[in-house]
Amino acid sequence: MGRGGRAVSSRKRTDGADRPGSAEIGLDGLPSSRAKGPGRLLIAVYGIFALATTARAGFQIATKFAEAPVAYLLSALAAVVYVVATVSLARPGARAYAVSFIAVSLELVGVLTVGALSIFDAQAFPSDTVWSAFGRGYGFVPLVLPVLGLLWLRRTRPGRDGP
Amino acid sequence: MDPFFVIGVLVCVLSAVLCVGAALLRQPPNDITILSVAAVELFLLAYAVGAAVRQLTGEPVLGEPWEFWGYLLTALVVPVAAFWWSILDKTRWSNIVLAAAGLTVFVMLFRMQQIWEGVAGL
Repeated sequence: MGRGGRAVSSRKRTDGADRPGSAEIGLDGLPSSRAKGPGRLLIAVYGIFALATTARAGFQIATKFAEAPVAYLLSALAAVVYVVATVSLARPGARAYAVSFIAVSLELVGVLTVGALSIFDAQAFPSDTVWSAFGRGYGFVPLVLPVLGLLWLRRTRPGRDGP
Repeated sequence: MDPFFVIGVLVCVLSAVLCVGAALLRQPPNDITILSVAAVELFLLAYAVGAAVRQLTGEPVLGEPWEFWGYLLTALVVPVAAFWWSILDKTRWSNIVLAAAGLTVFVMLFRMQQIWEGVAGL
């Protein structure tokens, strides 16, 4: 690659290992350890879901809110959770870490609760929400994503091997 | 079957396979993977022009036109965003980010085709 400005100096570094004093530049000019390596992919997938769920919830609420208000409000809540998770995972700092932990945990609770309820009470939860049937409509990615998210947050928790 | 759709699927799948392959070889994003994502973007632009021409020459979208164009405009952002996000961290994971762009566009293309043919709602 001939392009200048290589941010990461070591190509062989172990993924996810925090390097104190690393010159890596995050989204807003500060070092962010969560947006490196596998975290890069995790945040990208969260971003895709943030986009998809926001568009879908907006569409559902704008065109057919009265059909299933509870389900569509949950759709909107899911969208908010994905947006918050994406942004907080990408941002550096202990506060962003706390916010992302809450958002990802909420997501796990949400997909498990809505997933279970959608099977027992199909009337209130038509199958066209992100978390219905444990995210079957999205290849079960909504079920796997928070688990991977929590594992990643555990690996990159502040003070683990950094300052 | 719609030739636009077939070409689009091939471009997206090829790009995703190349990017995953490069990631498996522990490569950071290189010219091949970045150009393959550029090809996805180029296809989307051609698809947009094609869709505009077809609609103006009396081949309407059978579903909701604004939904179709909403998908298309969003899809156009995906490869650009993936490129920007992946070059900021040169690890093999960034190639999987590029692969995710191809797969996402593939799914969106599938939905756009459904809307074009007036199948199913959201």
